[in-house]
Amino acid sequence: MENKKILIIEDDQFLREFYQELLQSEGFSVDVASDGEIGFQKAHMGGFNLILFDLMLPKKDGLAILRDLKVSPPQTQNGPIVVLTNLGQDAIINQCLNMGAEGYLIKSAMNPDQVLTEVNSYLGLH
Amino acid sequence: MMSDFSIILTAILIFALILELFYMKKTRALEDRNKRLEALKKLDEIMMSSTTNLEEVAQKVTDAIAFILGFEIGVLALIDEKRKVLRRVAMSHTATGVKAQTSLPFPYKQLEIPLDCEENLSIKAIISGSKQVTHDLYEVFVPVLDKNISAEIQKTVNVKTSLIYPVRARGKILGVMIVSISRDENELSAYEKESIEELVNVLGIALDNALLYQDLKETSEQLKIANERLKQLDKLKDEFVSIASHELRTPITAIRSYAWMALHKSDVPLSQKVEKYLVRVFMSSERLINLVNDMLNVSRIEAGRIEINPEPVDLIELTKEIIDEAYYSKSTAKNIQFQLHETKLPKVLADLEKLREVFLNLVGNSLKFTPNDGKISFDFFSDGQVVEVSIKDSGVGIGREDLGRLFQKFGRLDSSYTATASLGGTGLGLYICKSLVELMHGKIWVSSEGLGKGATFYFSLPVATDARLRHIDEYRIKAVGEAKGLEPVAI
Repeated sequence: MENKKILIIEDDQFLREFYQELLQSEGFSVDVASDGEIGFQKAHMGGFNLILFDLMLPKKDGLAILRDLKVSPPQTQNGPIVVLTNLGQDAIINQCLNMGAEGYLIKSAMNPDQVLTEVNSYLGLH
Repeated sequence: MMSDFSIILTAILIFALILELFYMKKTRALEDRNKRLEALKKLDEIMMSSTTNLEEVAQKVTDAIAFILGFEIGVLALIDEKRKVLRRVAMSHTATGVKAQTSLPFPYKQLEIPLDCEENLSIKAIISGSKQVTHDLYEVFVPVLDKNISAEIQKTVNVKTSLIYPVRARGKILGVMIVSISRDENELSAYEKESIEELVNVLGIALDNALLYQDLKETSEQLKIANERLKQLDKLKDEFVSIASHELRTPITAIRSYAWMALHKSDVPLSQKVEKYLVRVFMSSERLINLVNDMLNVSRIEAGRIEINPEPVDLIELTKEIIDEAYYSKSTAKNIQFQLHETKLPKVLADLEKLREVFLNLVGNSLKFTPNDGKISFDFFSDGQVVEVSIKDSGVGIGREDLGRLFQKFGRLDSSYTATASLGGTGLGLYICKSLVELMHGKIWVSSEGLGKGATFYFSLPVATDARLRHIDEYRIKAVGEAKGLEPVAI
């Protein structure tokens, strides 16, 4: 699993570190970004097997990251890009899906084991 | 003979003269009457015309009275309740009227008399409710113009008498009509006097109409503004609820996630006490998340953001799905048995997503209040028009006195509080169920034989008959503004 690289774009420190720790404990190689701009730069470099990104982010929101990645595609291709949000049932989620997001996860609706199940399924593991 | 003849001739002449005089008087009277009728007709026209602008009506009416009855000046002044003044709104365009306008030191509409200035005859007419007469224009202009200026104006326009009539409508005095003439009051014929009074009465009605219309216009404009503001507020509230729920969920997610990690990924063994505390932190965080979700759902339902898209739904199939879902959540831990009494059933007309929410809520509820090794059974009944579903549990039951408030917001029962505290109830689930079922033209109710005897929840929905499917749009509900889905129910 060391070869699977995951990028987490999440501004809340506790949640960012939680996802990082959870995924690292499963043996994934995890990179993080705490705002939309850094997130976009890292995603733009590319090479991630999975990108989990929040929608409400400082400097550049999630939808803008998707748009910018469309306009200027990553140097090395990325795996699925998945929305990781607490905005349930908002029109913005559908906009993200139309902009190329693979799916969405509602943070508050999942226990850590469910997060792992979802991550594995997006990575095509299990 | 001659003298006889001349006597007869003289008599005839005298008779003719008398006749002529009588006829003349009669003609005068007829003329007056014609004038009055003409004026009334004119007023009628003004009232019937589509003109509803107050100033315009006032001007037309004032002109009609002055021109047709041949008065030198007609002035209409109305009470301005807000500013506590008598305001001139129209002055006749008669030659003398125009002269009077130019001889005033300022536009006549600025001539405002305070309502408490009893020295002014217009105010006196309003207070007393009776006609006032004066030969001195100062009494009409006080306190705005002084004696000298008033005398000058009177000299310029050359009017002798001013008559001031209160203008009434529906028993209320709206203002005064001032008529100025170059004659003395007693030179006016009875007809002329009657005519003025009659016209002033009609004038009141015309003005009242215009005022009512203006009020209506102002009110509807204010309503429009208020409505716009409400819409803005609604949007702001929506944004607030959306952002607040997002902001609330972030820390709750952290609490829930770290509590879970502490319980499952701790690098030291947990003492019994610590484990119990962590379990409670975890369960409370779940409950808080449910509460946020339910509050979001309630706010969406109440704001009409929910749409109903009806389609034929197979209730048996849906029940099986719900049982599967429930089975893999909590029922296994509690060893609860599900029983489904399958029958041949027509499809119902419902919004699948909303019906699923209702079902999950009801089943979740039964699970919460049914102790370990209990039983939950599903029954169906249809008379061809509606399908009735019942969900019967062997749980704690409900006291008769509590049945009524069960479907109210936070209508949670005191006796069930201990249960909800440990099971994550929000007190909103049944209210949401009732709202959704009713949006889908259904009914929901409950029965219980009492505490400790379990409870049965029922809901009924219309059968998807051919007739109903032909008019399926009657069952459709469009969302107000942007349609929102419902937050998932956790069971």
